[in-house]
Amino acid sequence: MIGIVMFVVALLMLMFGFPVAFTFGGLALLFGVFAEGMDLFAFMPFRIMSIMQNTVLMAIPLFIFMGIVLQKTKLAEQLLESMGRLFGGLPGGLAMSTIIVGALLAASTGVVGASVVAMGLISLPVMLAHGYDKKLSCGTICASGTLGQIVPPSIILIILGDVLGLPVGDLFRAAVIPGAVLIGLYLGYIIILTLLKPNMAPPMKRINDDTRSQEIVKALIAIIPPLALIAIVLGSIFTGIATPTESAALGGVGALGLAVAYRQFSFKLMWQSAQDTVKVTAMVFAILLGATAFSMTFSYTGGDYILEEFLLSLPGEKWGFLIFAMLVILILGFFIDFVEISFIIVPILAPVAEALGLNMLWFAILIAMNLQTSFLTPPFGFALFYLKGVSPPAVRTTDIYTGVMPFIGLQILVLVMLFIFPGWFGMSS
Amino acid sequence: MRWVIALDNLLARISYLCGWVASAAFVLMIFNVFYNVLARYVFSEVSIGMQEMEWHLYAAVFLLGIPYALRTDGHVRVDVFYDRWTDATKAWINMIGAIILVIPFSYLLIHYGYSFTVESYALGEGSGDPGGLAYRWIIKSLLPVSAFFLATSGLGMVTQAIRVLKLGESYTSDKSAGGLA
Amino acid sequence: AQEKFTLKMAETWGPNFPIFGDTTKSMAEMVEKMSDGRLTIRIDSANKHKAPLGVFDMVKAGQYDMGHSASYYWKGKVPNTLFFTSMPFGMTADEQYAWFYHGGGMELMQEVYEPHNMLSFPGGNTGVQMGGWFNKEINSLEDLQGLKMRIPGFQGEVFAEVGVNPTNIAPGELYTALERGTIDAVEWVGPALDLRLGFQQIADYYYTGWHEPATELQFLINQKAWDKLPADLQEILRVAMRTAAYDMLIHSTHENSKAWATIQEKHPNVQIKKFPDEVLNAMVKANAKLLAEAAEGNPEAAKIIESQEKYLRNARNYTDISLRAYLNTMAEIED
Ligand code: NA
Ligand code: NA
Repeated sequence: MIGIVMFVVALLMLMFGFPVAFTFGGLALLFGVFAEGMDLFAFMPFRIMSIMQNTVLMAIPLFIFMGIVLQKTKLAEQLLESMGRLFGGLPGGLAMSTIIVGALLAASTGVVGASVVAMGLISLPVMLAHGYDKKLSCGTICASGTLGQIVPPSIILIILGDVLGLPVGDLFRAAVIPGAVLIGLYLGYIIILTLLKPNMAPPMKRINDDTRSQEIVKALIAIIPPLALIAIVLGSIFTGIATPTESAALGGVGALGLAVAYRQFSFKLMWQSAQDTVKVTAMVFAILLGATAFSMTFSYTGGDYILEEFLLSLPGEKWGFLIFAMLVILILGFFIDFVEISFIIVPILAPVAEALGLNMLWFAILIAMNLQTSFLTPPFGFALFYLKGVSPPAVRTTDIYTGVMPFIGLQILVLVMLFIFPGWFGMSS
Repeated sequence: MRWVIALDNLLARISYLCGWVASAAFVLMIFNVFYNVLARYVFSEVSIGMQEMEWHLYAAVFLLGIPYALRTDGHVRVDVFYDRWTDATKAWINMIGAIILVIPFSYLLIHYGYSFTVESYALGEGSGDPGGLAYRWIIKSLLPVSAFFLATSGLGMVTQAIRVLKLGESYTSDKSAGGLA
Repeated sequence: AQEKFTLKMAETWGPNFPIFGDTTKSMAEMVEKMSDGRLTIRIDSANKHKAPLGVFDMVKAGQYDMGHSASYYWKGKVPNTLFFTSMPFGMTADEQYAWFYHGGGMELMQEVYEPHNMLSFPGGNTGVQMGGWFNKEINSLEDLQGLKMRIPGFQGEVFAEVGVNPTNIAPGELYTALERGTIDAVEWVGPALDLRLGFQQIADYYYTGWHEPATELQFLINQKAWDKLPADLQEILRVAMRTAAYDMLIHSTHENSKAWATIQEKHPNVQIKKFPDEVLNAMVKANAKLLAEAAEGNPEAAKIIESQEKYLRNARNYTDISLRAYLNTMAEIED
């Protein structure tokens, strides 16, 4: 029960506007010490040590650095603007470019914090500068940034493979079509939205009196350097030169190289980028630290057993079970992070699903799609916090909260389609 | 009040120092990872020690970055109401939050992080992998050390709040960065 | 009514980790039934304590009463814990259990753990571990030079001595790294656990083992927690641990045979290989050199190594005329 009270109190406390990370961490301490005594906190150093040794998360500072260097040298702006121009006078060009860049990042890694923050740094200022609606910009970035969890390689899928005992390769293959459908729907949504409300995502103004062909040539020239960078990052992963984490470092060094090539490099630039990287990284990891304290108190005060009991009382018939299971995961996703859900909830659901004769691969992809949504759901969706951390003061939490709503809707739509028509996605139930 | 200003400036300097060290660790880290990829791919050479150095540096980046970000207001807030409040209200929230949330949290991390480090030192703990780094207590000691700086940054929130409340200073200056900008 | 006891146990594995996790569960069940509910063991998996490699410290400090892990994980903290899991070219599971329970192994293990206020008991055996998944065939020592392989610990040191580059890769990136050739080889456990990670889909060569012929897990118990138990519950716990450990060995055999049949049926690309003699001889030499180094200036290590080597020689003499002779006979009949 203490865990549940703690959730409610956290929800209220967050509204005071004290930093999220320390609201989580401090409340975990107050409730934990009250329920279990000080010594509960003897577990904290071990938990922090696990984060310190989790080298996959090292991609976060590295991608942030790449994003910041690209932003400071205006190379990112050029990339997005030229991609926007290639889409012609179409409204929504920048948003579509953002989704495509997000999809490319998703295919190279699966670390949401890294993608959202990098995209927030690169494309949010450009979209705002071109008169895009704040909410639409934020929603697009958060949604594109979380794509990495369903588009392989993906950490959720690797963890689910471990928990459900399914080969990672099978999961990766099964996730390709659902991921592609999701990207397609995002793009389709932008197209339809900009047809209906062109003011939300105005087309980019033509520069000078360039003819269309001159414009295209200029765009193609501007697009080459940043595209080369993306090629370095993706290429190094796909050829096995580097792991996804390491590729982020190649990207960062590559961005510095571009700065040199474009005569923008200075040690001051590098140092300031490093300082900004530290600040943003600290923001992301403080949330992780606060969250690990929070989940520690939650589970050591018996919260995990309460959840388990509740789940074991779910209905035992196929569709009823599935609908309930998906709802439970979706709702829990509002509050606790995907690793917790994968390790606490999924093992309880798995034997039931197996007993009902469900295709476990399909079941796993349903869960993955559902968990991805949890990054976007207010008030605790991590993607929302991460974007808030790098956005200018003019962007308010509420802009981000309302901006992601349509994208959450699209994700749920894909989830429902996958649920009812698994055949469309190359799977059976 | 002069001592509050003096103390606040001192605390700020400590937090900025953390940021400086973390930034230096980051620059080393990015070239460390870059070098490791190069060495493995081009020279077919791998050093587990150099690989472990990566996470040592990465840990320093975020552990020392957190107190720095606290001073520069880099941590995310839910601003649904916060933005509309007066500086005085903000000051009270920050002061109370620092005293009941940040400082006790840091204290427990210092306390348990210290025994965590001492144990590692007493065992002479090192890496169990071939060519790995020795002296694991050094990186473990970063935990209580960074928690100590987190406490000083928390105290800095209090002195800052006092400056706002008593001296009428405002949060909109460079002390409040509102994200990255 | 008699007093009831609860022991909290941290395991290195995640929840529902097959075979390893079944061992702790069955142990806890046995204890509860045999003690008629007077002793309960509550298992926290890695997802709860988040410190898979902190089990040693947490049991030592009394944050947990018990742990389930593998002794060689503590090599970086207490070097002599290395010897109680499995050594390259060492004893088989039968021989090693005989050494533990009848050949003085338990006493030596206790000597190592006592200064840390803990008791250590055998905690289940995987049987012979496979030598790993390789992207390319190994035909000579030359082929091993600069080969990038995920192989941790002492076994990695032996590989390093013969020219391999032991490489750290986060478990979450292991599959991708092997698939794309960032690394050339991965050592994991055996068919049952390897199958879950999907290596059979991306690597063709599955090498037979030499480096961990009988990987023994361990139960750790905090001395104070142990002392608090009445003698009858101590005995129940001891018997349950010993039974669960033996049960894991046969469970491993069962699951591995099933999984190997699956791999043979569904992944005909997978070929079983043995390292060439040249390579194995070099590794035997490297192993001997490293053991000599470990024994130097460390009388406790020297004593353990000597005990193991002496026991192995004697037990192997008998294995040769019994199990090996039988398997050879069977092989001849089948031909
Ligand atoms: Na991905
Ligand atoms: Na192994």
